[in-house]
Amino acid sequence: MTIHFTGTMLLQGIVSGLLSGGVYAMIALGMALIFGVMRVINVAHGTLLMLGGYVTYWLFALYGMNPFLSLLISFPLLFVVGLLLQRFFVSRVVGAPELSSLILTFGLSIFITNVAVMSWTSDYRSVEFLTGSFLLGPIAISKPRLVTFGFALLITVAAFVFLNKTKTGKAIRATSQHRELAQVCGINVRRIDLITFGLASALAGAGGSLISVMYSIFPEMGRGYVFKSFLVIVLGGAGNYPGAFLGGLLLGVVEGLTSLLLTAQLSEVIAYVLLVLVLLIRPTGLLGGRT
Amino acid sequence: MKIIKALILAVSSIVFVAGPIFAQAPIKIGASISLTGTYAKLGSYTQDGYLMCAKEVNEKGGLLGRKLEFVVYDDRSDPPTAIKLYEKLITEDKVELVMGPYSSPITKAAATVSEKYKKIMMASLAAETAIWEQGYKYLFMTISPAEVYMQGLVELAAERGLKTIAIITEDTSFALAAGQGTADLAKKKGMQVVLHEPYPKGTTDFSGLLIKLKALNPDVISGGTYFDDSVAITRQMKELDVNPKMFGATVGGDVPDFGKQLGNTAEYVYGSTQWAENLQYPGVKDFINNYKKLYNREFSYHAPAGWGACQIFAEGIRRAKSLDSDKIREQLLKLKITTAFGDYQVDERGFQIAHKMVLIQWQDGKRVTVWPSNLAEAKPRYPTPAWSARK
Repeated sequence: MTIHFTGTMLLQGIVSGLLSGGVYAMIALGMALIFGVMRVINVAHGTLLMLGGYVTYWLFALYGMNPFLSLLISFPLLFVVGLLLQRFFVSRVVGAPELSSLILTFGLSIFITNVAVMSWTSDYRSVEFLTGSFLLGPIAISKPRLVTFGFALLITVAAFVFLNKTKTGKAIRATSQHRELAQVCGINVRRIDLITFGLASALAGAGGSLISVMYSIFPEMGRGYVFKSFLVIVLGGAGNYPGAFLGGLLLGVVEGLTSLLLTAQLSEVIAYVLLVLVLLIRPTGLLGGRT
Repeated sequence: MKIIKALILAVSSIVFVAGPIFAQAPIKIGASISLTGTYAKLGSYTQDGYLMCAKEVNEKGGLLGRKLEFVVYDDRSDPPTAIKLYEKLITEDKVELVMGPYSSPITKAAATVSEKYKKIMMASLAAETAIWEQGYKYLFMTISPAEVYMQGLVELAAERGLKTIAIITEDTSFALAAGQGTADLAKKKGMQVVLHEPYPKGTTDFSGLLIKLKALNPDVISGGTYFDDSVAITRQMKELDVNPKMFGATVGGDVPDFGKQLGNTAEYVYGSTQWAENLQYPGVKDFINNYKKLYNREFSYHAPAGWGACQIFAEGIRRAKSLDSDKIREQLLKLKITTAFGDYQVDERGFQIAHKMVLIQWQDGKRVTVWPSNLAEAKPRYPTPAWSARK
């Protein structure tokens, strides 16, 4: 039997893709910040996301806390975890060749994941909080994804306001544009590194909290998001933060439409084909990255 | 020289006859099991089954007058590690027998080692048919193969005159085989397979696939799933308002956590299992009581499967009256036996042909056996109501 793709189906695919893309964008923004400021590719980003997921899970399982309310705890908690990681580990490889940071954060991610396995076992868990959908005519809009998208958007916009309007935020962008020059201008780049890593970890943690409402929580849940974030950063242009946001939404839609029109197996293939095309045609990303 | 040999023989036979039971060294059985990593939980049930079996065999006087003793290592859910561990068990620890690890992919890897050293491997938890198509001589199967996992779902659907089925499976060996088996069974019953599509391992977002399913609106959806994907698919079917008359998921649908994670959303979902607590096999009640006494926790079919495989192996050895691989093999090939885990009989490849699958359905938060009818606790709740019609 052949499937006749109707406009409704396509629209449904795009809506579902956009809703997933919002979370990708938020998580990728964190990774983009770290890369922009420190030139560190943080492979451990996914494990920080996983920690955020467990914060939400345990607060929900033990105290029945609303998973969206638990963002108020996972965000600052992961900020602190990020600060500590930066202070004791990552600060040592800032400025070193990029391979050093890759190895370090890879090691950290293995360590943290295994601690999670030992502490909480490798069981899959989930937060059964919001299920089902709103039906807008023939289009189904998933309730957990809609709310998740809303929060991801809110947090991402707040992060942009912080980066554009506050003094610290401007210092982060300045450091990202030119580290030495920023230092010469009196910016304490070590402090900016700390704040950046904290903020990025908090964004990952918030991502974990939000994802836990949609998908299962387990120690290796973050792995796929590292690759997705990497893809989003390249799509949007390395160091270009609004680009990361756009890239996230785009990735969500591409994945959604590929698994709809072709097969689910091809959705990652197509995403990476897109990556190669962007690198060939617009090597600085869709919105143009920092050179 | 002859005199010395005769003397040794005489002395040893005196020891054998006159000595207490277990005067000889125990029979060491080696196994690598996934105690950490992805398969950790299911592997731990397998280990429980093995150890419980050894304890029971020893309480009844052991095997060939010797005690059974397991040597177990953790393969971290990793096939290459299992290969190294079986090498070590056989060559360094000098175990006399080996039992299989948990899961098809790890058994597939480990069997290359047992075969090399001509050791019988009693595979307790491998369901992939292809493993028995390699021409291995010493590998025996305990559980039903992947292809028949969804036989119950297809038969129930055909009885109700359903015409169309969609099959979605993870793109790994067991799930693909389960999907193919389901498709073949459905076609035999005159059903039309409207979609048969694999998805990559680790997929979390099934929207695209489910939108297609929604448009095709098949009577039955059958998932060749493990645990995480079965939960995600069920949840997203609700989100996208996909409403088949029957929906079944191979592995995940049967796991106790499926209901725990999904709550009400799990209702009406079918799952398949190798074993259930209410089955009328001999010794089922004893197994359940002994297990709870020993480990004090809930379990899935992996525990009785491990236990059953070990009991079958022991029976083969008793009949062979020897630990010689070829003699045991001969007995295991002709053995027909029903344990608390169910029926055992293999064909000339060592491939399981007697053990039966059962189909369960989630009813009021519990797994209820609904097929085959002679083992069913209740009738299936049919059809599955649309999501919007549920409370």
